[in-house]
Order: sequence, then structure tokens, then C-alpha cells
Amino acid sequence: MPKKTSPTGNRSKDRKRLKKQSPSILTPVLLIIFFVVAAVGVALYLKLSSTEGVRNQTSSINNSSTIASVLSTNGWTKGNGEAKAVLVEFGDFQCGACAAARLRISKITEQYGSRLKVVFKQYPMQRIHRNAMIAAQAAEAAGQQFKFWEMHDLLFERQNRWAQVPDAHTIFLKYASELGLDLARFKRDIWDSKTKEKIYRDVMEGQIAQVQSVPAFFLNGKPLRNARDDAEFENLILEGIQSIQ
Amino acid sequence: MNKETTIHWLLVVASFIGMIDSAYIGFISLTDTLIPCGLTLGCDKVLSSPYSHLGNVSISWIGLLFYLLVASNSIFGLSGFRQAFKITLAASTLAFLITLYLLYIQIFILKAFCDYCLLSAFLVILILGLQLKLNFWGKTELSI
Repeated sequence: MPKKTSPTGNRSKDRKRLKKQSPSILTPVLLIIFFVVAAVGVALYLKLSSTEGVRNQTSSINNSSTIASVLSTNGWTKGNGEAKAVLVEFGDFQCGACAAARLRISKITEQYGSRLKVVFKQYPMQRIHRNAMIAAQAAEAAGQQFKFWEMHDLLFERQNRWAQVPDAHTIFLKYASELGLDLARFKRDIWDSKTKEKIYRDVMEGQIAQVQSVPAFFLNGKPLRNARDDAEFENLILEGIQSIQ
Repeated sequence: MNKETTIHWLLVVASFIGMIDSAYIGFISLTDTLIPCGLTLGCDKVLSSPYSHLGNVSISWIGLLFYLLVASNSIFGLSGFRQAFKITLAASTLAFLITLYLLYIQIFILKAFCDYCLLSAFLVILILGLQLKLNFWGKTELSI
């Protein structure tokens, strides 16, 4: 029987040689880690710089750091447009709490509408509410035909019917038809870039005002603390109205 | 540098760009930031649509895993290791089919386009082309 021999006749030398020839796994693994970290890092940098850019752009409009100066009182308003007391709401049509707040606001407007200007600003939270943006666009498109508040009420009242559907805009077309809107114009306006830009401006204002959740209320430029019930909310509003007059 | 090495480097570069693109969309999906969309103006519509998510997870994270697989395969190939050709080619084919479906959604259902999604579609098509080139046409021994 032939004796097993190694190519060089020295097994330990052969093992070392083989070890030298086989590629090290460390290099590719390190390269992969480097690529992933670099890619994620660049993405994060781009994300942060785009957010910062948006903030700087809006900040440059007004250098004052107070929220009151950042918040404009333009937009969709109800109550007394000339009133000194201004209640600004940042809302999201797909948010349950905003739907509940609508009734509160309606009651307040009925009672104090002559002394209070109520402003609605869009703050669609797209991460958690997939149809919030298109709902905001529908409300804006209805607003182009002077039916913002009617669409606003309809969207909140029927939130459960459209919140989870894949093609909410087809439902909104029916609502537009119900409100007697010019459908051709509504269809054009809902996807119009100006409609989106208007919503972007509202959201930018909200980001500057540090809106963390919706609905967020600001009374005379100051954040309104959370009220436990309707009575406390009414008291806070009343205090705000009295303090400014 | 021979042809195969060049293709592997192209795959690494394409995957790297794809990883940045996917991670960027992924980070955007985690916040309520509005997405700047220079060319097509349709990013918010596309990326906030139900088609952009599987459950609560943005499909861009799945894209990131795909690009990671392609990059890993090529980096191992460049380092002299055997590569998981079949798995990578299968993943690239699947990614290509998903890309076609997502393009269909953008064109016919949402009627809106998103720059980042179009970039990803281009990269997936490029990656599949390079994989096919590597696997079937002009396949030779990889010399590193």
C-alpha cells in the first residue's frame, strides 16, 4: 500500500501554504459592513439636511423665534374673521381625535364665533395615516370651490368609511358630487401641485411650531394645553378671548 | 481588470446607490416629513399610498435587503469566494417583477411618479441585466 505523502513532503508547511492561498472572509465582511454603514449614513444625512432645508426656508420668512410670529392666521377660517382672538388648529382628517375635536370646535364657534377667529391648518401625518394626505388634498380642492368646511365636516363624519381603503380618492369624488362641486375641476385641483404646496406650507408651519401630535391647538399664538373635557376646553378658550380684549 | 471584475464593481456601485435610495425612503417613511420631489412631484402620493407598505413596513426596507444581497454577493465574488449566483439571480428576477408591478401601479392606478422609485426601478433593471450578463453571456473564470 502506497504511503500517503503531501506535495512538499511536509504536512505543517502545506497547511500553512493552503491557509495563505484561501481568501480571508474578514475582508469582504468588513467591506460589506463599510458599504452598509456608508449608505445608511448618506441616506440619514440627506434626510436630515432636507428636513433642515425645509425648516430654514420657513424660518427665513420670519426670523422671530416665537410661535406667534411663525403662525399665520390665514387659511380656512370660520367665526369672526376680524376677531383679535385666534384659535389655530393643526388637524389630520384621518385622525380619530381630530374627528372628535371637530364637534368641540363647532360648539365653541357657535358660542363664541363673534369674538373668535378659528383657523384650520393641514397636518396630515402620513406615516401613520395612509389616506391623510389625499384627504387633505380633497378638502383643499373643495375649498377652491368655496366648500372647504363642508368637505371638512364630511371627511370627519365619514372617516371610518375611507380611512383604510386603497383608493380613497374615488370616495372623495362621490363626496364632491354630493356637495354639488364641479367634478372636472375637483379632479384637476385634487392632484394640482399648488394644492400640495399649500398643504406643505401648513405642515412646515406646524413643524416650526413644534407640533408633535394632532389635533394641536394654538390660541393667540400660544400652544393650548390639553383639556380633559369640553368644559375645560371652553374655559381655556374663554380665558384666551378675555385676555386679548 | 477583466470583464467579470468590472461587472462585479458595477453591481457593487449600483447596489450602493440603491441602498442609499432605499434607506432614504425608509427614513422618510418613519417620520411625517414631507418628501421633496424635484422632477415628478408625485412622491407624497406614491410613498403615502397603501401600495408602498406591507403592513406597517415600508417596502423600501425590503429593497434595502435586496441591494445588500447583491452587493454582498459581488463583494464575496471579488474577494475570491464562491458566489450564490442562483439565489442572487432569483432575487434579481423577483425584484424585477416587483418593479414592473410597482411601475404599473404608478402609471395606471396612482397616475403619479416618484423620483426615488424610478431610480430604484432603473437600478433593479440594471442589476438584473448585469447578473444575466455575468451568468449566461460570456461567462468565464473570475480572475482576481
